[in-house]
Amino acid sequence: MDALTVSHLEKRYPSFHLRDVSFRVQPGRIMGFIGRNGAGKTTTLKSILNLVHPDSGAVQFFGLDMPAHEFAIKQRTACIFGAANYYPQSALKTIAAVYRRFYPTWDEPLYQSYLQRFGLDPNKKIRQLSQGMSIKFALTLALSHHAELLILDEPTSGLDPVSRDELLHIFEDIVDREGASIFFSTHITSDLDKNADNITYIQNGHIIASGDKDAFVASYRKVEGRSEDLPPALKERIIGLHERKGEFSGLLRAADAAGANGLAVTPADLESIMVCTERG
Amino acid sequence: MLNLLYKEWKLAVHPTGYIFLSMGAMLLIPNYPYAVVFFYQTLGIFFTFMNGGATNDVFFTTLLPVRKRDVVQARLFTVIALEVLQILLAVPFAVLRCQISPTQNLAGMDANAALFGLVLVMFGVFNVVFLPLFYRSGYKTGTPYLLAVLAMTVVVVAAEAVIQLTPALKQTLDTTAYHPLQMAVLAAGVLLYAVLNLAAYRLSARSFERLDL
Repeated sequence: MDALTVSHLEKRYPSFHLRDVSFRVQPGRIMGFIGRNGAGKTTTLKSILNLVHPDSGAVQFFGLDMPAHEFAIKQRTACIFGAANYYPQSALKTIAAVYRRFYPTWDEPLYQSYLQRFGLDPNKKIRQLSQGMSIKFALTLALSHHAELLILDEPTSGLDPVSRDELLHIFEDIVDREGASIFFSTHITSDLDKNADNITYIQNGHIIASGDKDAFVASYRKVEGRSEDLPPALKERIIGLHERKGEFSGLLRAADAAGANGLAVTPADLESIMVCTERG
Repeated sequence: MLNLLYKEWKLAVHPTGYIFLSMGAMLLIPNYPYAVVFFYQTLGIFFTFMNGGATNDVFFTTLLPVRKRDVVQARLFTVIALEVLQILLAVPFAVLRCQISPTQNLAGMDANAALFGLVLVMFGVFNVVFLPLFYRSGYKTGTPYLLAVLAMTVVVVAAEAVIQLTPALKQTLDTTAYHPLQMAVLAAGVLLYAVLNLAAYRLSARSFERLDL
């Protein structure tokens, strides 16, 4: 049974339209949710959590309909939207004392171990934390009640490279050890290169790809070379062509790469795919 | 629900909510419009909601495993607790006031059971205007508070005017001496307070359920 199934979600705002959003998060998998700023990542996350009311479409967590089973679903899920930007005057231990009451599966030793691991002092107040430490505290709460699905909006933005790496390892550990699933949005695509199993890519409120990450990445090639060596027929097929001082770079679908003789064709990564796709 | 109430008192209630509980002592002032004593607590409630904007209270709470209507219910229970506690803490001062200075309050109603009935209606009107208007946005507090205070003031001034201008009511309700009619006013106040709070809950929950956060 899928951890999350989203079918034909629609939400119309005066200046933005979430169109026919469908994807699924399988159990024990890490799904990366990518898209540029304003593409609809947060609106999608809020819609599936019933914080925003979709105009149409269906959302199921663990086979249970949302919002009919909102209470049960939320107990089995952990959500964070960026840093812990709440109750700045309250101590971490006070917030944790409140938070833990809502989750019957709260694991105090696990919570204490994350506090230690992240170097968080429970007596400190939220306002005394840096942005990075505040994200770590939000994550500490989210990770301490054995959630079956973690929904994380930009969990790595604002973290230093070492902390990001540490966090990605924790994600892998949770998936491997507890069989949990993770659905996280980010624009730091290199994080997903490292550990995502699946990718969902949203552009202007519409899902343009959702599936296995390796297959998705393998379906593109980076191509570069001298502009004069670029055949006109191939030029039309290049996605996000950038030309400067007689040199060009861009992206090709793997099927089109066969015609790129004499040009430098290299494997693509998520960043180049996203940048070139958005460039158009 | 208990968990949400714990959250309210641990994280959300503004310190002024506690401080204004002690305003009941102002009933010892010989001549004073006693309804104003209770107005202060609406400020404490207002600060709790306003502070919620600065602390992202609504967002933190709605991400917890709770239904939106539970969030509204917990907040309303908290507001009711702040209001009822203030009334209960004021009762000894009202008794003391009548004991040590049985002269009439020249600035409005005397501190008797009828006053508390009127104050309950006043709080009920405040709640039924303020909470539903707040939960339309989940963060705007200024306009809902102004309108709630306005509605509350109109009710109190009208009630005071009727009592002052009707000799039969003035003799029975505006006095430090006990009269059974005062208990009737208190009972009516309790009933109206309950009805108004129920309406406040239903209207607020409906607005909040519809709201996109």
